[in-house]
Amino acid sequence: MRIQANERERARNRPGHEKAKHVRWRYTAAGLAGMDLTREEKEILCGGKGPALQKVMRTLVWYGQTLGAKRFVDIEGDGHFALSSLLPGTGPRLEMLDELAEAGLKTKYPFTLDPRPPLDFENLDLSPGQERAFARLFSGQSRFEERMRQLGLRDENAFTCTPYFPEVGNIPRRGQVLAWSESSCVIFVNSVLGARTNRNAVIMDLFSNILGKTPLTGLLMEAGRRAGWLIKLKVSKLPDPQLLGGAIGRRVVDGVPFIVGLDRFLGSGLNERTVDYLKDMGAACAAIGAVGLFHAENITPEAVDLGTKLLARRHNVQVIDEIELQELSASYPVMWKKRNARPERCLIGCPHLSLRELRWWTGRISRALRAHGRKRVAVKTTLCAAPQVIARFQAGQNSRKQLGRMGLTLSPTCPEAYMDNPLCAGEAVATDSNKLRAFSTARLSAVDELPDLIASGRIRRGR
Amino acid sequence: MRIRFQGRAVLPGRLSGEAIVTRSGFNTLASFYQALLSGSRKAVCSDQDNAELFGRDLKDKIVCLPVSIGSTSAGAAWDRVAHRGIAPKAMLFSQAMDSLTAAGLIIACLWAGKRVVAVDRLGQRFLDEIRDGDEISVREDGTVTIVRIPKTEPCAPSRRRCGARGSGSSGSRAAGRERQGKEALLEAKREKLAEK
Repeated sequence: MRIQANERERARNRPGHEKAKHVRWRYTAAGLAGMDLTREEKEILCGGKGPALQKVMRTLVWYGQTLGAKRFVDIEGDGHFALSSLLPGTGPRLEMLDELAEAGLKTKYPFTLDPRPPLDFENLDLSPGQERAFARLFSGQSRFEERMRQLGLRDENAFTCTPYFPEVGNIPRRGQVLAWSESSCVIFVNSVLGARTNRNAVIMDLFSNILGKTPLTGLLMEAGRRAGWLIKLKVSKLPDPQLLGGAIGRRVVDGVPFIVGLDRFLGSGLNERTVDYLKDMGAACAAIGAVGLFHAENITPEAVDLGTKLLARRHNVQVIDEIELQELSASYPVMWKKRNARPERCLIGCPHLSLRELRWWTGRISRALRAHGRKRVAVKTTLCAAPQVIARFQAGQNSRKQLGRMGLTLSPTCPEAYMDNPLCAGEAVATDSNKLRAFSTARLSAVDELPDLIASGRIRRGR
Repeated sequence: MRIRFQGRAVLPGRLSGEAIVTRSGFNTLASFYQALLSGSRKAVCSDQDNAELFGRDLKDKIVCLPVSIGSTSAGAAWDRVAHRGIAPKAMLFSQAMDSLTAAGLIIACLWAGKRVVAVDRLGQRFLDEIRDGDEISVREDGTVTIVRIPKTEPCAPSRRRCGARGSGSSGSRAAGRERQGKEALLEAKREKLAEK
C-alpha cells in the first residue's frame, strides 16, 4: 500500500495546496478501490489538523477501502465501545490512548463503555489470592478511565454492555447512524431498535467517533440489511434463547437471518420479555457467529414494516428444530478440570441483566431454595447488571433483603473479564450465557436447570 | 506441484511459510486470549469451539481460513498479538475479509508498526485445496501459491534392483518414516492438549 507518503508528497498535499485532489488515487492499495473524500477529509488526511488525527484518518480510510466503502457518513449519536480496561486481549495499549489524549482529541458525542473489570471485591466473594491477582491485572484501571474521560466518556457510571436499557439511557433512535462495537450491543441496536451500525472492532469504534464519521458500508446501507437467510423454527415450545442464538450463529456465520416462528411464542411487536429474549439470543448469535443484524417476523421493527420483502432475492432456507438444539447443547465441551466437579460459582448476566430479569432470577432462585428446603444458595452466585439497573433494583427494600437472605450478590462487573484469567479459569463456574461459555471455561446450563443447580449445588444427571 | 490462486492483497507483502488451515470461522479473541493473558511467547490457539486449531501454535504460521467470527474485541487483540510478536505471518481468506480482522490488522500495521500480510477473496477452491503443513508463498499482488512436494511412491518389487543401486530411494523412505514419526508425535501432543 502506498499509504506512507514521503516528505515531498506530504508537502505537496499540505492544506490548501491544489494538489490535494490527488489524495484519492495515492491512497489506493493494490486491489483496493479508492474513497471519495471531502475537502475537509482530505485536509485531515494530509495532516492539516495534526499528526494524531491524520493517523486516525489514515487508519479509517484504509479500513473503509478494505470494506469497499465509497465514502464516509456522519455519525449521528452517542457511542458505545467494547473497551473496559487495558487488559491484554480486549483492551487497547495505553501508549495509543496517551497519543490520542495528548493531541487533545475527543469524540464528537459522549460514549459509554463495557462493564468495569472485577474490582468490586465486596460483591464477588473472592479469595485473597484472587483479589491480589485482579488488583495487579487491572492496576492501570484508574489511568485508563482518566484517559477515557479525556476522550469523551459520558459519566462515572457509563460502564455496562446494555447501555440501551432505559435506566442507562444510551438509546439510539431508529435509522440513526452509529459506530458501535461490543457484538451483543451492535446486534441489539441494529435488530431491536432499528439503528444502523456496523460491527466495528474495538479501537476502530473510538477512531470513528473521534472523527465523527464512519465508512458507509455493510449494515449502514439498505442492501446490507437484506436477509440472506430464512430461518424457520419448527419447535413446540419457545427455545432457550442461548441455544437458538448459538444455532443461528453457527448456520449463518456473518449473514443476516430472517427468523420465522418466534412470534408464535413471543407475540407480535416488542415488550419487556421479548426484548430480554432477543438480547440473549442476539448475544449468542454474535459470539458464536459474526451476526450483526437479524430480523424476527412480526417482532423487530424492520420486519414488522417490510416483512418478507427484507429477504434477498437469492436466500438460503434453513430449518431449526428441537433435535438440532439438543444436539448443539450436547456438543458443547465441558472445560472444567473435572467434568463431574461440584460447581463452585455461578455467574448470570452476560450480557448484563435487565430489571425484569433481575426480578425473575431472584424469584426463580427463591422458589428453587424453597423446593430444596434451604435458606441460602449452595453455590456462590453473582447476578451482573448495569450500575443504574442495580441501583433501581436495590431501591426496593424488599429486594435487597431478599438477596441478602438467599446469599446472592449483585455486581456491575463483566463475567467475561472475571473468567478470562488463569486464576479463575480453573474454577468450576456455571452460567446461563452461551457467550460466556464460548469465551471461557464456564459451563452452560439451561435457564430452567440453573436455579436448581444454584439451590442444591448439584448438576442434573446427563448434563 | 504448484497451485496458484489470485486474491485481493489488503495488507500486501511477499513471504513464504507453513499453512495451518481451519475450515470453520476463526474466532480471533477466543483463539488468542489465553496466549495474551499468560504472556506466552507462543500463540497457542485457545478456541475450544475450533477443533482444527485448538492447542496449536499460530505464531509465524500462514493461517488459511474462510472468515473470522466472534467478539468485536478482535481489533485490540490483533494489535496486541502483533505488538507482542506472536502473530501469524499471514492470514489468507477464501471469502471477503470481515470488518473485525480488517480493522485489527490495519491498526496493528499503522499503530503497532507490525504488518501481518493479509489476502482475501481467494475462493472456496483455495480452501478445498490447501492442507495443513503445505508450503505457501504469497506475493505483493495477492498471488498465493501452494507448493506441494509429491509423495515418493515406494518402489515396486520389480524395480527394487534399480532402487538398490542408488541411495535415493532408501533415503526418501527414511525421510518418509521420519516425517511420519514427527506427524505422529505432533498428533499425540495435539490430543494431549485437547484433553487438557
